[in-house]
Amino acid sequence: MRLLRLRYSDFRNLADVELAPSEHATIAVGQNGQGKTNLLEGLFFLVTLKPLRASRLQELVRFGAERARVAGTFLLGGAEREIAVEVSGGLRQAYVDGKRASSLEEYFGGVAVVAFTPDDLDVVKGGPEGRRQFLDRAVFNRFPAYLRESRAYGRALKGRNRLLKDHVAPDYLESWDVTLSQTGARLWTRRRALLTELAPRAVAAFAAIGRTVDPAAYTYAPAHLDDVDFQSAAEPALARALHEALVRRRARDLERGFTSVGPHADDLEIRLGERLARTYASQGQQRALILGWKIAEIENLHAALGFLPLLLLDDVSSELDPERNAYLMDYLAASGAQTFLTTTDAALVEKAASADTVWYRVVGGTCTVEARGEGPASG
Amino acid sequence: MTPEPLNRLIAQLARLPGIGEKTAQRLAFYILRAPPQYARDLSQALQEVVEKVRLCARCFSLTDQELCGFCLDARRDDRILCVVEGLADLMAVERTREFKGRYHVLHGVLSPLEGVGPDQLRIKELLARLEPGRVEEVIVATNPDVEGEATALYLTRLLKPMGLKVTRIAQGVPMGGDLEYADQATLARALSARREL
Ligand SMILES: Nc1ncnc2c1ncn2[C@@H]1O[C@H](COP(=O)(O)OP(=O)(O)O)[C@@H](O)[C@H]1O
Ligand SMILES: [Mg+2]
Ligand SMILES: [Zn+2]
Repeated sequence: MRLLRLRYSDFRNLADVELAPSEHATIAVGQNGQGKTNLLEGLFFLVTLKPLRASRLQELVRFGAERARVAGTFLLGGAEREIAVEVSGGLRQAYVDGKRASSLEEYFGGVAVVAFTPDDLDVVKGGPEGRRQFLDRAVFNRFPAYLRESRAYGRALKGRNRLLKDHVAPDYLESWDVTLSQTGARLWTRRRALLTELAPRAVAAFAAIGRTVDPAAYTYAPAHLDDVDFQSAAEPALARALHEALVRRRARDLERGFTSVGPHADDLEIRLGERLARTYASQGQQRALILGWKIAEIENLHAALGFLPLLLLDDVSSELDPERNAYLMDYLAASGAQTFLTTTDAALVEKAASADTVWYRVVGGTCTVEARGEGPASG
Repeated sequence: MTPEPLNRLIAQLARLPGIGEKTAQRLAFYILRAPPQYARDLSQALQEVVEKVRLCARCFSLTDQELCGFCLDARRDDRILCVVEGLADLMAVERTREFKGRYHVLHGVLSPLEGVGPDQLRIKELLARLEPGRVEEVIVATNPDVEGEATALYLTRLLKPMGLKVTRIAQGVPMGGDLEYADQATLARALSARREL
């Protein structure tokens, strides 16, 4: 997979921007507030249909414009395909080669992206919700059907919470408990499958980044599951276990008006040695733990899909200490992946650049190619 | 300025699902240019449909009599009953020509988020028509989405204690998809591979 061209129309502050990215690194340099993150967000949205930053869809549309559009021409299996996404009236519509994409699988087949933003770096010390979102992004990258599956779970969950608040008849609530258990067990098996593939790679990547003796551990195990071994149970057994947990906690859930057990309440546990990284690891170590995970994600997708995902790095270098940043830049240069980086300071990402790097200068929502001499220009 | 009667027609047409302002305009101009008899026939058809067509007293599909064609057809099998969400789903199942039993239309699915509970659906009426000994199997053909699955589970809990065999159409239909839009081959496969609940 390779992205050949990318065009933004009224996406955030990008009124009309066309990029011709490099086969390897494409680097957008500019001061704050110029549109660098918007460039990456547009590409991320094109490939995942999800905004990179938590926001309502309508916020993606340039102020005063009616519709936003991002279109990319990809080289997929030897053929050029155009995929595009439009947002208007708070709705999104995907297109493949100019035709409305009828199923999300059709749309997602063949493209993948791993994004790395400064927000990711706070995931270790932040709350469980951030870690769940972080985890789910990786799951979705690996299993595109997860988007639909997690939506189904979300709907079942909202429905059950409503029924709890309305104190409906037990038969009615029971039918929702079973549905919630089935959709929830699916999310559990997806997350479990992802962790099984990813965790060993992340542990190894963290060790390679170095400077910490203690090994990393990334684990996911749902809370409140009795009588079932999460790691080995089949999906129907997990559904039964979730159902039992829902029934056990029904009185308490009814009292509080929300569902207290299920994939929406779980946490991704990140440890350093025996201790929780969240409270014990230094900021530098916490960031290295996330870096290890991201590198693992890239390698895992490569192994699973047979091609490298697109890599998006938004202003990450300024948040890493010099040695870990150097490690990341070397890794990117060696990976051979098609990479998009943004930075306020070109010097920070120089090591990821090579002769075929395309440099853009971003000013007020416009991008212009910037010629660089033999070596990369200094900051 | 377009004349007011024309504006009124466009406004009415634009309320139809899937019809935007432009299409409404096109339809209105078409009606206007067609021979006047067309408009008279159209308005008569509209009048008649609301005056004469009503819900079948037994299965709640459409009829212009007390009972519908599906309920009256003596060749259909009384022992097997297919429960669907809506009329479009009934038509979709019927198009497969695989199903020779009777129907029951719920007119919706359980949906806490939209305030649709068991009392808003034709569930009481379903239970009432299941006299013991007559119906042997109930196929629950609600859509395979969250609400459709939950509704199927709810019905199963009511029907099983009555000694009925309850089956669910298999998941040949795309998950999260609408039965109404599934192609016939998929639906036929789903019907023949139905599973007991
Ligand atoms: N919907 C929108 N329409 C127009 N401008 C927007 C929209 N959303 C964000 N912006 C503008 O985009 C700019 C921020 O761009 P961003 O890509 O985050 O900057 P940076 O270069 O610092 O990464 C801000 O000036 C903001 O006002
Ligand atoms: Mg930014
Ligand atoms: Zn009838």
